[in-house]
Formats: sequence, structure tokens, C-alpha cells
Amino acid sequence: MRTLFLSSTLAFWITVAAFWAGGTWWPGAGGGQATAADREIAAAEVARHAVPKDCWMIIDGRVYDVTRYLPNHPVGPSMVVPWCGKDASEAYCTKNAGRPHTAYADQLLPAYRIGTLAH
Amino acid sequence: MATTAPGWLTLSSALAWAGTLLLVASLLPMVREPRLVAMLGGLDRMLRWHHRLGTLGYALVLGHPLALAAARWSASPRAAWEAIAPWGQPVGVTLGWAALGLLMAGLASTFAMRLPYRRWRWLHRLLAPGVLGGVAHAGLLSGRAAPALALGAIALAALGWRLLRADLGLAASPYRVERVAMRAAGVIEATLAPQAAPLPVQAGQFVLAAFGEGPHYHGCDEFHPFTVSGVGAGGTLSVAVKALGPCTRRLQALQPGVAVRLQGPFGDFLDDRGAAPQLWVAGGIGVTPFVAALREGPVRRPTTLVYLFRDRRDAAFLEELQALAAADRGFELLAAEADERLAPLEAMLARVPGLGGRRVHACGPAAMVDALRGRLARHGVAAGAVRAERFDFR
Repeated sequence: MRTLFLSSTLAFWITVAAFWAGGTWWPGAGGGQATAADREIAAAEVARHAVPKDCWMIIDGRVYDVTRYLPNHPVGPSMVVPWCGKDASEAYCTKNAGRPHTAYADQLLPAYRIGTLAH
Repeated sequence: MATTAPGWLTLSSALAWAGTLLLVASLLPMVREPRLVAMLGGLDRMLRWHHRLGTLGYALVLGHPLALAAARWSASPRAAWEAIAPWGQPVGVTLGWAALGLLMAGLASTFAMRLPYRRWRWLHRLLAPGVLGGVAHAGLLSGRAAPALALGAIALAALGWRLLRADLGLAASPYRVERVAMRAAGVIEATLAPQAAPLPVQAGQFVLAAFGEGPHYHGCDEFHPFTVSGVGAGGTLSVAVKALGPCTRRLQALQPGVAVRLQGPFGDFLDDRGAAPQLWVAGGIGVTPFVAALREGPVRRPTTLVYLFRDRRDAAFLEELQALAAADRGFELLAAEADERLAPLEAMLARVPGLGGRRVHACGPAAMVDALRGRLARHGVAAGAVRAERFDFR
């Protein structure tokens, strides 16, 4: 068990240091995705992706493809699906119950971003 | 990117929950109830499971933030670092880092066996808030309150039970010191009389004892393990106390009349002696369980006790053992001074007739037990015929 503790702890800190180094010295690398996230998408385009198997939505001016996330939503996909193809900013910020999503959800969201809402 | 990030996020969540579940499960073997301990195979086995579950749970939890950062890497390395950076984060994330830090510090000290026991125990307790903090972190950030609450309730129940019944001794039995005798330099033997129902103690077992107040004595009132050196009439029992730390050094001045609280008994070291001739190997104060067995009466099978000690002044119970050997033809005593090289051991083993067919019990320092196992194997003693006990609570 001592070996497991030492090796896992060492591997952990080496990996954390690598993430820190990457974030500090190469912050903007991974340009393919940065380009995708800068893509402007019209609301009409978002509205064409309005079913569970192809679900886009707008939150605070950004466009997200949450299709692969739906099965992992804590209370199931049924709460999210009605917002496919629509602007879900209000629903995301309040969960329609006066309570915002968790900080963890805020951390997850950027992983699904595919563009910015075109004006 | 969206095709790979969900996989990392799912992995991160799975590692977090699996690790937290194992960490909470590791608390259950620490509920130190004697009957539960006996049912589950003894304190040693429960300690091993405690170590395995805790260390494995910790290793899984370490993977959780790394997988979370990996999910953000394809967005940008900066996003990946910002997902896990310990600073500038919501309270829930900071709580996770704090919990991880406590787990890391607690486990690091757990494996530092050279630490004085008191300091080791204090540092080991960091793991409790580490586990609870991890559960709270999971509940706050996952959006899944129900499993977090359930795990938190189990963790608090196990910790509370252990704290109240074992650490604070609410389940302890009251005894009083009847006699104190000096058995060697830095070793006393205290005979304790029950003040209520006696504990069902047998030779080969140990108890946790907290020595309190007496007419002219102030004990530490902390629970420490002591091996039983004798079981007497009316439920009295004797324990050997070697001066190894602050509390046990204070105990060298123990006097009759001091109140004692006992928990246990624990252990089954001499339960499986079987019918075969016996070889007992004792290093230093490790002779204690064998003394308790020999005091029960003449041995029922040929028994040889190999007793190694650094100096004759340290050889507790030596004169009594010599007298027992003189009076019991079935019991042979081989005693010698030895340092860590254990020079006399090989010659002493060579004098044991039918060594290969003996059932071996060994009690002493880990280095002695390890060296003994190797030499016994060379003499044809099967590994399964050797039972060793360290009587160490770490």
C-alpha cells in the first residue's frame, strides 16, 4: 500500500505540474477547438438542432452541442430536451426554480461549446 | 472535442464516486467492537482492509481532478489548468483541494512508522476530516445530494461510534490495579481486578487499557494495547507494560488502587495451536503471550520456547520461565542474548527436535519475524505452519 500511495501521489503531482506548465506557457494552444468556439452561429441554425439525438442550445450568447451530455444530466435528459434548439439562458441560470446550476456544471459547460450566437 | 471531453468527464465522475465510496468503506473496519472484530477475522485482518480500502480510494480520487482537466485540454491548456487550479475557485472546489490535502498528509504520516505513536495517531486523524470534506465536495459540486448525504451519514456514524465507544472509552470495562511487580528493567506487570463483569480474556490476547487515577498516581488515561500475561481467578488478568513512550514510562511507577478502563479482548494468536509439537519464538517483550499460555498449566504437547533478548536485564519473566521449564518435562526453554543480527538463532533452531513438523508461533520485532521465516523455510517448516504476531496497532 505504501508503494501505491507513493507512486499515485508522485504521478498526480507530475501531471498537475504538467497542466500548470501547459496553462502558463502555452495557454492558447489547441487552436482547432478555439477556432470552432469562435464560429458564429445564427439562432435559426440552432433551431434546426432541436431533438435529443441532435441537441444544440444557446446559453448567455454561446452555442453548445449537448447531445452527448444528455444521458449524464443528473436528473435525466427530460429536463434539458425541451430546450434543444432554443435559448436556454434563463433555464440554465435558474433551473426554472430560482436556483442556479452548480459550479461543477459551470465547469462542464465549456467542453460542449461549439460557437457564439451570431447577431 | 465534444466527442472526447464527455468520456473524460464521465471518467472523472466515476473516479470521484468510486474513490469516495472506498474511503467511506475504509472507516467501517475501524469500528473496534470486540465481537465484530472476532466475527470478521481479527483486528489484523480488519486493519489490512482498512489500509487497502483507504489507499485504493485515495488513488482513485487523485484521478478525478486529472480527468476533469483532461476534458478541458482540447479547448485549451489554459482552460484545463483553470478547471483544477487550487486558487480562484468556488468554495466547493477549494473544499475538494483541502480535503485532498488532508488525505495526502494523513496517509503520508500513516506510512511513517518511525514516528512516535502519539504523533502518528494525531496525524492519522487528519484522514477523518479529509474523508468528510471529500464527501461534502462531491455533494456540493455533483448536483447529486442523495448519495453524498448517504455516504456522509455512514462516515459520521462510523467515526462517531469509534470516537465514543473506543477512543473515549464509553464501552470500556472498569478494573482496578491489584498488584504491580517489576519483571525486568523498564517492564512491569500489573494485575487488574474487575469492578464489574470481567472480560472473557484468554492467553494470546491483548486488551486496550487506559490507566487513570490512584491515591498517589496520575495516569495518561489514554488507551494503549497491552498483551495479557496471565488470567487469574475471579476474572483478574495481568498485563505486561514495557516503557516505550511517555505513557508507558509513566506506568513504570504504577501503584495498586489505580482505576483502569479496559476494552477488548482482541486477538487469537494462540487459538490455533493444533495437536502438533510447538515451537514458540519470542523477541523481547514478545514473550508475554507465551508466559500467559504457560501459566495455564503443564503443556499438552512438546513445546520449545526460543527466547531472545538484548540483555539479561531486559529479559522479562526469565526466572519464571526457567522454573516452569524445570518443573514441566514437556516444556523446553532456549534463552540467549542477541542483537539485530540474531546470531544465536540458527544454533538454537538446530537444537529443536523435529523442527520441520512443528507448529510455530512467533512474537517480536518485525525484523526478527522476517529473519525467522527465512530460516524456518530452510529447515523445512511450511509457511502455513508459522503464525506471527506483531502486536502493533499501526
